[in-house]
Amino acid sequence: MTTSMDRLAAAANGKIIDHIPVFCNLLDQGARELGLSIEDYFSKGEHVAEAQIKMQKKFGHDNVWSLFYVGKEAELFGCKKICYATDGPPNVEDYIIQNYADIECLQVPDDLSAHPKFAETAKCLQILKREVGGKVPICAYLTASMSLPAILMGMENWMELLMIGPVEVRDLLLEKCSDFFRKEIEAYRNAGADILVYADPYGSTDIIPMKLFKDLSLKWMKRDLEPGGLNGVVYYVGGARLNSVADEVIREVGIHAYYPGPLDDVTESMRIINGRALCAGVINDIKLLDWTPGQVREEVRRIVQGGLQVNNKFFFGTVVMPYGIPEENIKAMILAAKEFGRTTDG
Amino acid sequence: MLDDVIKAYNEAVLDTDRTRALQIVSDAVAQGVSPEDIVFNVVIPGLDLMVKALSEGFDTNLAQHFMTSQIAANVTEKMLESFQSPPEIIGHVVIGSAVGDLHTLGKRIVIGCLKAQMIEVIDLGVNVPAERFVSEALAHNAQVIGVSAMMVHTARGENGAIKVRRLLQEQGLEHKIKLVVGGAPFRYDPELYKVVQADAWAENGVSALKVIMDCIQEVKNNDHEHG
Ligand code: B12
Repeated sequence: MTTSMDRLAAAANGKIIDHIPVFCNLLDQGARELGLSIEDYFSKGEHVAEAQIKMQKKFGHDNVWSLFYVGKEAELFGCKKICYATDGPPNVEDYIIQNYADIECLQVPDDLSAHPKFAETAKCLQILKREVGGKVPICAYLTASMSLPAILMGMENWMELLMIGPVEVRDLLLEKCSDFFRKEIEAYRNAGADILVYADPYGSTDIIPMKLFKDLSLKWMKRDLEPGGLNGVVYYVGGARLNSVADEVIREVGIHAYYPGPLDDVTESMRIINGRALCAGVINDIKLLDWTPGQVREEVRRIVQGGLQVNNKFFFGTVVMPYGIPEENIKAMILAAKEFGRTTDG
Repeated sequence: MLDDVIKAYNEAVLDTDRTRALQIVSDAVAQGVSPEDIVFNVVIPGLDLMVKALSEGFDTNLAQHFMTSQIAANVTEKMLESFQSPPEIIGHVVIGSAVGDLHTLGKRIVIGCLKAQMIEVIDLGVNVPAERFVSEALAHNAQVIGVSAMMVHTARGENGAIKVRRLLQEQGLEHKIKLVVGGAPFRYDPELYKVVQADAWAENGVSALKVIMDCIQEVKNNDHEHG
């Protein structure tokens, strides 16, 4: 029987076995699945693993997540306060960097795998690996060094430091974030993650000018990824647009998979990438809250046909699906992606 | 001469080059351009030009909006110190992040643009309850409440903008106070502002300026009609 892993490997080679891989990024929804509050749900790796497996069985998509919420990365750095909601993702509430002197003192944790704040994630990965390892791709989410400061000091202060702050302070922070990244990706790989989503909104020209992208984002991307290599790495710009930088990242860094934003033109993404790497067609999942299943199906058709019209190194995906999306829309989306994502040529 | 200053200033702003923009302004002042002229004939028309370019589809990034707003606010603040007489305040706005939302950058950008336009802004901070938006708007005679929300649940949540609308309705304030929203979810769903019953929304900080100015004008027109 074809597994999700087989589908992904085929897509990477430009082939479709039965249908394209369908990635569905359900995170907070796991709490509902287990009948827990979001805060309780995220307190245990067992919960996350159990719900991820349950949801994957129920909806039939092609991936599971070891990500709890992005703020966990700040917790690894010492963040003590997370703001929980009853109907949405947890957020970092206290920023560990309050002023530039804090950057000086910022300590990159020594051994991430042994870090108490990593323990639940490791537990989750262990269960996922045992239950679905080798069959369903296990995803991990890692924030790039250029974007991580946003949850250590806030978007506002990071933008200010980046644009008008002292260069040596900026670079010191980036270096620490990059050191952290290198350890983090190694820890995730060792714990069994297959797909390493490299999240870098500051690697999109929706967020920063092209010049800064070329001068800084590329440089730090190379440094982040250099020791561990590019195996399993997906370039994801946080839901922002990717097209203007995709070619540069392929040529300069050579990542093998790309995750455009929902506002990118998918056919254009595929043409730019032009068979040099795998590319996702990404739905605007915020609209999934209000669309009817019929509208969802039409939109999936547009995306999947728009991608496959260029070549088959293609898969379907969502961004960070809002908690409130009705299940019938999730089902309609996945069904449609499989239906329109079938091979026509054998 | 002023035309050259405007052109050079705008270029520096779009290049996100604050040092150059500030230098252009201080050179102009040294050559005799009045602080009033800098604000009303360089900074404000610069923002207007950008609003126009954006409405025509000119592509910008977040950093440019941040820098535009910071430079405009910095220059205005500095120039105001040497104004001959205090400028006329165009309107009052209270702004904050919705309940449960801790994001600050969006409102900071919007605030910078508003300040440069002689609009007085009260920053209510983050995680602001609906009741507070309304009571502060009343206390400051604000024509506009601005709610920033970066996530779906804070944008659409029943204690966010929707509740602000309900309170305005219940207290009969709708002709006096307009509700304007913004933040990532509204950019991904341009119809969302209607779902949360806001009067208007804006895609970025510079467009927010125009949208909010229009709302202020509308309230002022209502005022004239009502009394
Ligand atoms: C950068 C980014 C990140 C960074 C930094 C996050 C942070 N600390 O803020 C990282 C990678 C760490 C990250 C993490 C997360 N993110 Co994020 N992120 C983004 C991204 C790319 C930009 C968001 C941002 O901060 N923009 C800054 C603001 C100022 O920019 P802006 O929206 O363009 O603002 C303009 C307008 O909106 C307007 N405006 C703003 N406010 C107002 C107010 C008024 C009154 C008016 C008129 C106008 C106005 O003017 C502004 C200036 O031009 C967006 C996607 C996108 N392209 O927008 C996702 C996005 C916001 N993230 C999202 C999510 C879910 C998250 C997480 C919660 C994921 C998770 N499950 O953990 C975490 C939260 C982390 C935390 N804080 O704890 C979702 C939110 C939607 C949803 N599903 O609810 C988005 C939209 C991505 C998506 N499509 O799924 N993220």
